[in-house]
Amino acid sequence: METSVPIVFVQQKQIGDYDKTLKAHKEGKIQKLLETKGHDHVQDSYDYDLIVIGGGSGGLAASKEAAKYGKKVLVLDYVTPTPQGTRWGLGGTCVNVGCIPKKLMHQAALLGQALQDSRKFGWQFEEKAVKHSWETMTEAVQNYIGSLNWGYRVSLREKKVTYENAFGEFVGPHTIKATNNKGKEKFYTAEKFLIATGERPRYLGVPGDKEYCISSDDLFSLPYCPGKTLVVGASYVALECAGFLAGLGLDVTVMVRSILLRGFDQEMANKIGEHMEEHGVKFIKEFVPTKVERIEEGTPGKLKVIAQSTDGREIIEGEYNTVLLAVGRDACTRTIGLDKVGVKINERSGKIPVSDEEQTNVPYIYAIGDVLEGKLELTPVAIQAGRLLARRLYAGATLKCDYVNVPTTVFTPLEYGACGFSEETALEKFGEENIEVYHSYFWPLEWTVPSRDNNKCYAKIICNIQDNERVIGFHVLGPNAGEVTQGFSAAIKCGLTKAQLDNTIGIHPVCAEIFTTLSVTKRSGGNILQSGC
Amino acid sequence: MGWEEKAARGYSEFVQVAQQSRGRPVFALFSGDKDAQGRSWCPDCVTAEPVVRSELNSLPDGAVFIYCQVGDRAYWKDPNNEFRKNLKLTAVPTLLKYGTPQKLVEEECLNRELVHMLFTED
Repeated sequence: METSVPIVFVQQKQIGDYDKTLKAHKEGKIQKLLETKGHDHVQDSYDYDLIVIGGGSGGLAASKEAAKYGKKVLVLDYVTPTPQGTRWGLGGTCVNVGCIPKKLMHQAALLGQALQDSRKFGWQFEEKAVKHSWETMTEAVQNYIGSLNWGYRVSLREKKVTYENAFGEFVGPHTIKATNNKGKEKFYTAEKFLIATGERPRYLGVPGDKEYCISSDDLFSLPYCPGKTLVVGASYVALECAGFLAGLGLDVTVMVRSILLRGFDQEMANKIGEHMEEHGVKFIKEFVPTKVERIEEGTPGKLKVIAQSTDGREIIEGEYNTVLLAVGRDACTRTIGLDKVGVKINERSGKIPVSDEEQTNVPYIYAIGDVLEGKLELTPVAIQAGRLLARRLYAGATLKCDYVNVPTTVFTPLEYGACGFSEETALEKFGEENIEVYHSYFWPLEWTVPSRDNNKCYAKIICNIQDNERVIGFHVLGPNAGEVTQGFSAAIKCGLTKAQLDNTIGIHPVCAEIFTTLSVTKRSGGNILQSGC
Repeated sequence: MGWEEKAARGYSEFVQVAQQSRGRPVFALFSGDKDAQGRSWCPDCVTAEPVVRSELNSLPDGAVFIYCQVGDRAYWKDPNNEFRKNLKLTAVPTLLKYGTPQKLVEEECLNRELVHMLFTED
C-alpha cells in the first residue's frame, strides 16, 4: 500500500511511491533495474490480482468468484450521499435502493388490496380498523436491508475478499486512489480491474430539483410518510413507485413527458397505465416540470410544481407534499479517473462499451453491470456476467454471458413479465407476415369472488412462423407475473415452439395455464374477452 | 474508559441488563446454560466462548458485553421461546450487536476475524 503519488514501476517491477522511489534511487536500485534486460518481471509486483470498484450485484459476485480461485481481491464500495443526504451500506443499488425495498413495498401495497378482498371471502373487520403505517413498513424494510449489508460483509470476509468503504478512482496505469469518508487517501495497484460502479438517479436540471425533490435513492428510507406525491417520469421506477404509493392509500399523480415504459412492449405498457388510472393514480401527460418551489417546511412539507406542456402552449401548477423524480439514471463513470487510464466511454451517456467478454478498450480493465453500454440493467445479468468473467480470467473457462432472452418483470400494481421480443421489435425484425401473435385476456380465479378486474389480465406470445412457430416473445400481465415468467423463460431458452406449448398440459386453476391454451391470433381479429371458467 | 462485562440468565434478565446499558454500544453472546462444572450443554458455545473473549479487547470504549445464558436444552429447542420470538435468535451460539441487524451465528462465532469485524466496524 502506498501513500503518495507518483507510483513508479521499472521493468514491470513496482518500486513504490515517491518516498520509496527516492530511497531506491539513492540506493542505486533503479539504475540496476534499468540496466537489466529481458523479461525479469516479478509476478507479485501488484498489491492485488483484482480490484473491483463498486460493491453492488456485479462487483460482489465477481469478487467472490475470483477469490474462490485463490486470487487476492479488493472491493471498493462507496455511496456518495444524495442531495438530501441519504446514504446506505454495502450491496449496491438492488439491495439498498432498488429491487429489494421496491418489492417489499410493492408487497405491502398488495397486502392492502388483499385485506379489502378478504371481506368477500368471509373475513370480518371494521373498515376503520385498517390503517397503514409508513414508519413501521420502512423500519422493517430497512432492518432487512441492514441484515443484507451485514451478510455481505461477513461473506466477503469469510471468502477472504478485502473490502474498503472508500471511493475508488484511477490515478495512473494499474493504480487506484481510494478515499474514505474522512478524506483519507490510500493508493493500491492491481494486475486487473473491474468497473462495476452502476448508476444514480438523474435530476431534471430545473430550479428546486435538487433542493426539494427526492429520488428512489431517498424514498425507501424516508423517515416520514411522503403524503400527496407527484412522481415525475414514466420509467418502470416511476410506475412501480407510483403504484405502491397509491396502493398504500396515498394521493399519487404521475407526470409523463411522452410514452410509458420506453423500450418495453407498448401495448403492455399502455395496459399497465390504464390499470393504474382505473385504480386511482392520476396521470398528467405530455408535461414536464419547469420549477419546484417550497411553500411550507415540514416532514413532508408542501411543494409547488410548475410544469409546461411539451408543445410549449400550456403552463400548470400543482401542490404536493413530495416530488419524486424518476426520469432516468446516469452511469457513474465521469469522476473515477477513466481518462487517466484511457478507458473510452460513450460521451453522451457515460456508459462503457465492452467486448462480448466485458473487456474495455484497455486490456487489463473490465466492466460489468449497469455501466455497460447496450446491455440490460438487471441484477441477475450483472451477477452472471461477473461470475463468468471471473471464471474466464482465473479458471480457464470460456463461457460468455448470454444476454439474449433475459426475462424481466415490472412490479407495477398489475405486474408485467416479459421474455424475448416486444411486438414492435419482432414486427420490425421479422416482418408482419412472418410473425404470429397469440393472445388472450384471463381472469385469475382469486379475483372472481371479490369481483376484481375482469378482462384486464392479459397473455401474449409472439411466434416466428418461419422457424417452426418458435416462441420469440412472451408477455404476461397479471398477478405473480415474475413467478409465471421464470419457468417459461427456461423453455424459451430451450427453443420452445407453439406446438410444444400446446402439447403442454396446463395446471388448473392457475393464471399461467392460459399459455397452454392460446388459440386466437391477432391476425384473425377474434374475440378474446373472457366470461369465466 | 474501556468496556464492561455483565451477565444475564434468561430472557427477562437479559432485557433488564440491556436496558440499563442504553446509550452505550451493547454486544451480547448467547449460550446454552452452563452446568455446575461450568460446561455448556451446547458444544459450539463451549468452543466459541474463548474465541469471543480473545477479541473483547477490541470492543469500542464504553461498550457493554453481556454474556447471556439462554436456558437448558429443552427450553432452547422450544420454537416459541422468548429469545426466538422476540430477539429472532435462530441458534446458539449467537453473538450480536444489540439494536442492529449485525450478528454472527454458530460457526461464524468461531471465526476470530468476523468477531473482530463485529466489534470494531460500523
